[in-house]
Amino acid sequence: MMKTAIKIDNLTKKFGPKTAVNKVSFEIYDGELFGLLGVNGAGKTTTIRMLTGLSAVTDGDAEIFGHSIKKDLQKVKPIVNVSTQETAVAGNLTVKENLELIANIYGMKKNEMEESIESIVKSLELNEVLSQKAKTLSGGWQRRLSIAMALVTKPKVIFLDEPTLGLDVIARRELWNVVTSLKGKITIILTTHYLEEAEALCDRIAVMAKGNIMALGTAEELKKSVNKTNIEDAFIEIVGGEKK
Amino acid sequence: MRIRAFSSRNIKELLRDPISYIFCLGLPIVMLVVMTIINESIPDMEGAPKIFKIELLTPAMAIFALTFIMLFACIRVSSDRSDAFLTRLYASPMKSSDFIVGYMLPFGIIALAQVVITYVSGEIIALVKGDSLDIVNMLISIPFIIPSMILFISLGLIFGTLFNAKAAPGVNSAIITMAAILGGMWMDIDTLGGSWKTVCSCFPFYHSVKYARYAFNGNFSDLWESFLICSAFAAVIFIASITIFSLKVKSDKK
Ligand SMILES: Nc1ncnc2c1ncn2[C@@H]1O[C@H](COP(=O)(O)OP(=O)(O)OP(=O)(O)O)[C@@H](O)[C@H]1O
Ligand SMILES: [Mg+2]
Repeated sequence: MMKTAIKIDNLTKKFGPKTAVNKVSFEIYDGELFGLLGVNGAGKTTTIRMLTGLSAVTDGDAEIFGHSIKKDLQKVKPIVNVSTQETAVAGNLTVKENLELIANIYGMKKNEMEESIESIVKSLELNEVLSQKAKTLSGGWQRRLSIAMALVTKPKVIFLDEPTLGLDVIARRELWNVVTSLKGKITIILTTHYLEEAEALCDRIAVMAKGNIMALGTAEELKKSVNKTNIEDAFIEIVGGEKK
Repeated sequence: MRIRAFSSRNIKELLRDPISYIFCLGLPIVMLVVMTIINESIPDMEGAPKIFKIELLTPAMAIFALTFIMLFACIRVSSDRSDAFLTRLYASPMKSSDFIVGYMLPFGIIALAQVVITYVSGEIIALVKGDSLDIVNMLISIPFIIPSMILFISLGLIFGTLFNAKAAPGVNSAIITMAAILGGMWMDIDTLGGSWKTVCSCFPFYHSVKYARYAFNGNFSDLWESFLICSAFAAVIFIASITIFSLKVKSDKK
C-alpha cells in the first residue's frame, strides 16, 4: 500500500456564480509524479492555488501529509513549494541571490542551502548566468530560474504549473531529466499542455474539464478507457471531443 | 531568518535603483540650502518667524524628508504587489509581520542616513553663516526621530498595500502636502494658534516637527508631550499597517 501525500476531498472553488473547481476528490501518493491535464480554463491552476494556500477554499478540504490546508496551512507551507504559471523572480537580484533568498525564507541551514543551490544550478545549467540579474535574462531563462527557486528548498511536495511553457527543446529535456531524477523522492504535481510530455513523465494523470475530474489513471489506462492508441486522441475524447 | 532574507532583498532592490535613495538623501540638502538663501535675503524684521533659522529649519527638514521615504516605501510595496514574485512569497512560510518588518528595516536604514545627512548639512550651513549647532544635542536627538520614521514608513506601507502603482504616487503627494501644511514645517503654528492649531494637533505631523525641534536644540524637558503623542500615533499606524496588509493578502486570495 502506497503512502498518501495529498488527499483531496470535495475541493471546490467558486468565483461568484462560476464554479472553477467542482467537488474534486482524489489522492496523490508519496513520491508520485502526477500530471494534471485539461484544456484552458479547466481549473488546474485554481486547484494548485488552493493547495498552496494562494486561493481560499470555497468548500471541501485537502490534506498534505496529514495537514489540512484549511486549518494547518502554516504546517503545510514549509514542506511545499510551487512554480507558478507566471514566472516569479526578483528582477533586481542575481540568479544566485534569488535562489539564496528563497532558501533562506524556507529556513534552510547555510551548508544545506549551498549544497542544494549547487546541485540545482548544475542540473538546470544555470552556472553561466549565476551572477546575472534576473530581469536581464531571456524569458526562458527566467522560467528556469523560477522553477529552480521552487526546487531549491527541497520540498516534499512540489507543484509545477506549466513548467515547460516558453522553454526551448533542450531546456525542456533538461527539465524532464530533473523531474525524472526526483521521481520517487518527492511528490510532484505537474500541469502541461504537452500531452506526450505527460505521457512520458507521469506515473498517473488526471484530466480536468470545467472544474471536474473526467478521468484518472496511468496514460495506458486513459487510452484504454476510450479505446484510443494515442494520448492526444484519448484526451480529446475524454474532455468532450472536438466541436464537429 | 525570514525577515533578514526579505529585508536584505529589499535593501538590494533599493541600492540597485539609485534614483530613489539619491533623491531621498539629496533632497534635504538642496532644500536646506535654498531655504537658507531665501531667508537670508529677507531683512531680519522684528516679529519675523524664527522657524527659518537653521536650528529650527534643520530638524523640520529631517521630518519633512521622511515623507519621501514614505513615498518610496509605498512605491516598492505597490509595485511588488503587481509582481508574480510576491505570489511566490505568499505561498512560502512568510507571515504578514515578516513582510511588514522586512519592508520597514531597509527604509529605516535609509531614513537614518537621511537624518544624519540633514543634520550634517545643517551644521555646515550654520558654520558657513558663522554660527554653530550643538553636536551633542544633535546626536542625542537622532534616536528620538525613530517613532516619526516608523510613522511615515508605516503610512507608506499602508498606501502601497491599498493602492496600485498608478494611484499610489498621487495619494502620497496629498499626504506630503498635508504633512507640510499641518506639520508647521514652513509656518509657525504655535504663533498662529487658535482653531488652526487645534486642527494641526489632531494629526501626528505637528507633534513630530515640534519634538524634533525641541530635541535638536537640547530642550529635553519640553519635548515629552509631543514625543509621546507622536509615538502613540506611530504605534497605532504601525499596527494598522500589519492589519491592513494581512487583510489585503486575505482578500487577494478570494
Ligand atoms: N481570480 C479569478 N476570478 C474569477 N474567475 C477566475 C479567477 N481565476 C480563475 N478564474 C476562472 O476559473 C476557471 C479556471 O481557471 P484556471 O486558471 O484554474 O484554469 P487552467 O486550467 O489553469 O487553465 P490554463 O490552461 O489556461 O492555465 C476559468 O474559467 C477562469 O476564468
Ligand atoms: Mg493554468
